[in-house]
Amino acid sequence: MSADRYPPVPYDPELEAGLAAFLDMVERIPLRADTILANRAHFDTIVPPVGQIVGDRPVEVEERTVPGPPGAPDVELTIIRPRGGVVDAPALYGIHGGGMVLGNRYFGIDGLIADVLRFNAVAVSVEYRLAPEHPAPAAVEDCYAGLVWLSEHAEELGVDRDRIVVTGASAGGGLSAGVSLLARDRGGPALAGQMLMCPMLDDRNESVSSRQYDGRGAWDRNNNDTAWNAILGPLRGTDEASPYQVPARMADLSGLPPAYVDVGAAEIFRDEATEYATRIWATGGQAELHVWSGGYHAFAGFSPDAVVSRAAEAVRLSWLRRTLRVP
Amino acid sequence: MTHPPVPFDPEIEAALAEIVSPDAPPFTPETIPGMRAAMAAMFPPAAEQVGDAPVLVTEWKVPGPEGAPDLEITVLAPRDVEGPVPCLYNIHGGGMMVGHRNMDVGRLLALVVELGVVAVNVEYRLAPEHPHPAPVEDCYAGLVWTVEHAAELGIDPARVVVMGGSAGGGLSAGVALLARDRGGPALAGQLLLCPMIDDTNTTVASHQYSNLGTWTRETNLAGWQSLLGDDYGTDAVSPYAAPTRATDLSGLPPAFIEVGSAETFRDEDTQYALRIWETGGQAELHVWSGAFHGFDMYVPEWHVSKIAIETRTSWLRRVLGLAAG
Repeated sequence: MSADRYPPVPYDPELEAGLAAFLDMVERIPLRADTILANRAHFDTIVPPVGQIVGDRPVEVEERTVPGPPGAPDVELTIIRPRGGVVDAPALYGIHGGGMVLGNRYFGIDGLIADVLRFNAVAVSVEYRLAPEHPAPAAVEDCYAGLVWLSEHAEELGVDRDRIVVTGASAGGGLSAGVSLLARDRGGPALAGQMLMCPMLDDRNESVSSRQYDGRGAWDRNNNDTAWNAILGPLRGTDEASPYQVPARMADLSGLPPAYVDVGAAEIFRDEATEYATRIWATGGQAELHVWSGGYHAFAGFSPDAVVSRAAEAVRLSWLRRTLRVP
Repeated sequence: MTHPPVPFDPEIEAALAEIVSPDAPPFTPETIPGMRAAMAAMFPPAAEQVGDAPVLVTEWKVPGPEGAPDLEITVLAPRDVEGPVPCLYNIHGGGMMVGHRNMDVGRLLALVVELGVVAVNVEYRLAPEHPHPAPVEDCYAGLVWTVEHAAELGIDPARVVVMGGSAGGGLSAGVALLARDRGGPALAGQLLLCPMIDDTNTTVASHQYSNLGTWTRETNLAGWQSLLGDDYGTDAVSPYAAPTRATDLSGLPPAFIEVGSAETFRDEDTQYALRIWETGGQAELHVWSGAFHGFDMYVPEWHVSKIAIETRTSWLRRVLGLAAG
């Protein structure tokens, strides 16, 4: 029994209520190959329309359709700017989570809106094709196409193209790492940073933390198996899996933009996130790593009032200020 | 194989040039006494550093380990706070060879005032005159005394955190292992700041900071050789001297581990957290971008130093059950 061989790191007691709410709201239906579509439909019901998310906050929301990867459909982007527009502003390129099988670009946009107002920045949230209908590398290529468009249209959007950070949580963190690798290898946009929050990086699902959260917690080992099977199909577990959608498989992690990696101590992605930062440092690359005591997957977003969540948010903002060079 | 280092943050690189003199002599038995004297002269006694702050300073002599000399301990207690309160048991750094407890008074004073806790600051014997186990046994004896005298000191014995930076972080980890293995004081946490815990000097980070930074590979080798004497480089090294040698890291108090991404101890400290988590133990890990060893002491006004200290304080509030600030 895995529970005996791999006792889990316990949760911060202050986070238990948030975890229960997360499981009830997001993971009501166990994610298995035959429940992906049902989960997707459920997911869409928990993400309100963008107008409702914005509320009366002073931002402009613009929907744009931009060219997708060669031979692929166009990509939808949602652009958020402070009302009245900006000039030479920093930009956050946001990639949503959902295991690369669920979710849409409005999931997580609430946090982007807050950052837009906080930093007088521009945020762009990208829609990308999901697995299993669209296996790897469709998702990361869509995200990359949107990033290239942002960089090429920086002036029109009021963005300083030298201050673009890619950011995302969970699958969005993995895809942020992936577009950073693509940008490096294709001589694409020079990113100011990559913000990888509880990132999904490794299809092997064999770390100690993946075993500690087998049948336990938010985004457990079974969910992760389901997602990677959908994303990679028969290539899963082989060297043929695209390292751009499975960044842990990239042999060379040198020459990347400064990374911010954060994760909970009590979650599946703890070890792969820590390992990714360690491998960046080994090349002489810059990375900041924060592993929060007793944190479940995506705890800061679902238990925002806990002491540990407030500390995590303060640290995230500190890194953004340093990286985007804003007060 | 070459290992390009993770760069220092440009904002603190200039400060580094002032901290590290290219003419500084290496640590040897001949140079160490002079270094100790110079450091002692930089930090006045605790009472002087505390000044008008609402903190009561008392100096104690308490029993050392069996057959060893007494220990000098400084206690900083908040005035106007009703006990019993949590305790921070502090162990200073200095590579096991140099340093004095008065170095840490500033750091402790800030925590005593902000959190309303008592700080107990211990002096321990230094290598090479006093190799392992003298330093860690002194620190452990002081901890046992502190917990046994909790009532007298106004301390809640169930809320004691051991803490320290660099060698003091390594000794804190060692004391936590001793307390577990001897059935000693039940600690509420171990706060390990850029801790020196691995005598093998085999990590990538230990190679990246050869002749570079505030605590170089070469200085680290001198520290371990001083502490371990004939055991250095052998399998006989005690886990209480070099905590990464411990084969079992289960059953330890919650750990807070902080280190710079641009320093010798980055990888060993990250590994230590990973190994605690593997057992199901609790640990929080922070690796700060571009920070060199001891950044918060050397460049306290740097914004990373400030957020790092805020983050520590958040963790202390969580493990000590103190209200959010």
